[in-house]
Amino acid sequence: MRARAGVLAVLSVILALGLVWAAHRRPVAMPVVPRAPGHCVLPTAVMLRTHMMLLRSVREEIVRHDARDTRFRLTGCVACHVEHTASGQPIPVNAPGQFCATCHTYVGVHLDCFACHAAVPETPGKFGGLRGQGAVQAAFRIPRALRGRFGASGAGGGR
Amino acid sequence: MNDKERDEPSRDGAEIEEGPDSVRRGLLKMAGAVAALTLAPGVTVFARDLVLKGQHKAKGPVRYGLLIDARACKTGCDACVRACQDYNGLSHDPGPDNAQWIRKVTITDEKTGFTRSFPMMCQHCAHGACVDVCPTGASFRRPDGIVLVDKHRCIGCRYCLMACPYKARSFVGRVVKDQRPWAPRGKGTAEGCTMCVERVEAGKLPACVAACQKAGHKAMMFGNLHDPKSAIAVRLSEVATTTIRADLGMAPGVHYRGI
Repeated sequence: MRARAGVLAVLSVILALGLVWAAHRRPVAMPVVPRAPGHCVLPTAVMLRTHMMLLRSVREEIVRHDARDTRFRLTGCVACHVEHTASGQPIPVNAPGQFCATCHTYVGVHLDCFACHAAVPETPGKFGGLRGQGAVQAAFRIPRALRGRFGASGAGGGR
Repeated sequence: MNDKERDEPSRDGAEIEEGPDSVRRGLLKMAGAVAALTLAPGVTVFARDLVLKGQHKAKGPVRYGLLIDARACKTGCDACVRACQDYNGLSHDPGPDNAQWIRKVTITDEKTGFTRSFPMMCQHCAHGACVDVCPTGASFRRPDGIVLVDKHRCIGCRYCLMACPYKARSFVGRVVKDQRPWAPRGKGTAEGCTMCVERVEAGKLPACVAACQKAGHKAMMFGNLHDPKSAIAVRLSEVATTTIRADLGMAPGVHYRGI
């Protein structure tokens, strides 16, 4: 009987502390996602919800069915969304506070694209790469003709 | 004959050359009038029209391949190996757990002392053993003949490493950093020569071939084997060449001269 009363007392103290903590807790701030220049390939609202499906279906097309000119390839995302240090060095998009990591940390979803894929774009002229970074960005910018399809303001921002 | 799932050879009518598959196809053709083969009660193999009409003989428009002139390949030169490693982000260190997409091989005839040195890499077979054994379909052959690993599907079982008679596949056993954007690679997957697929698609030569030309040896030639006017097809029609272990019937896309 005494033991049970002790357990109850401890539990109520924990509960009370939890309530105090909950009352004083500050809400988690919404992530601030770095903005990329130009227009995304689809409106931001669509990309927010479907980018994982897009990447998943498109990777099949790209790898297996040689549709390498698709707009939704990961290298295109990285090329636009990478940030640079003051000295001009690209910061990996999965580094803390960067484009991919910001949201994925907030929602607690593990991001493993970059276990294999490069998280920085190719450096022009280095290792005999195919295209400069600017060319990659240009290639994945949404065509002007298509922008109207997603609303009056174009493709919905450069996020 | 589940061509629909193993879609690489049959997609857009790509070629099927002599090989184990064509033997099976031949057997199926014999049962052509029936168009279905009953193996056991309730187990029936249906042959697709494509097989029965013999359309599998049609060659696809593109099959990329290499011609390596072992006579021109210089002993001690590893320009192709270096170029591959640089371009695809592989280590120069020949450690036991480092991937090796291309390597220099030296063969010697013990009786005569005749020695040749030449590069070996994925032979991009029409009927690759790696594609056959892969349990997830990660090892696959593109319609243009390039054999790749779909690393999204690879589970790292290493069957392909065992199956390949050319030892062309490597396994990535450690975490990889600083990958090239065009060559994703990561721990737990098999990999091998991609024939620099993104360079080829951009109309450039594979890195090894370009490096060999730059080094002045011109021992490697790249092109479309199915285009009779291509330089490589013309050369193949003019000179005696061979494929390594042709007896296995895997129809490699890499041809050698002078071995």
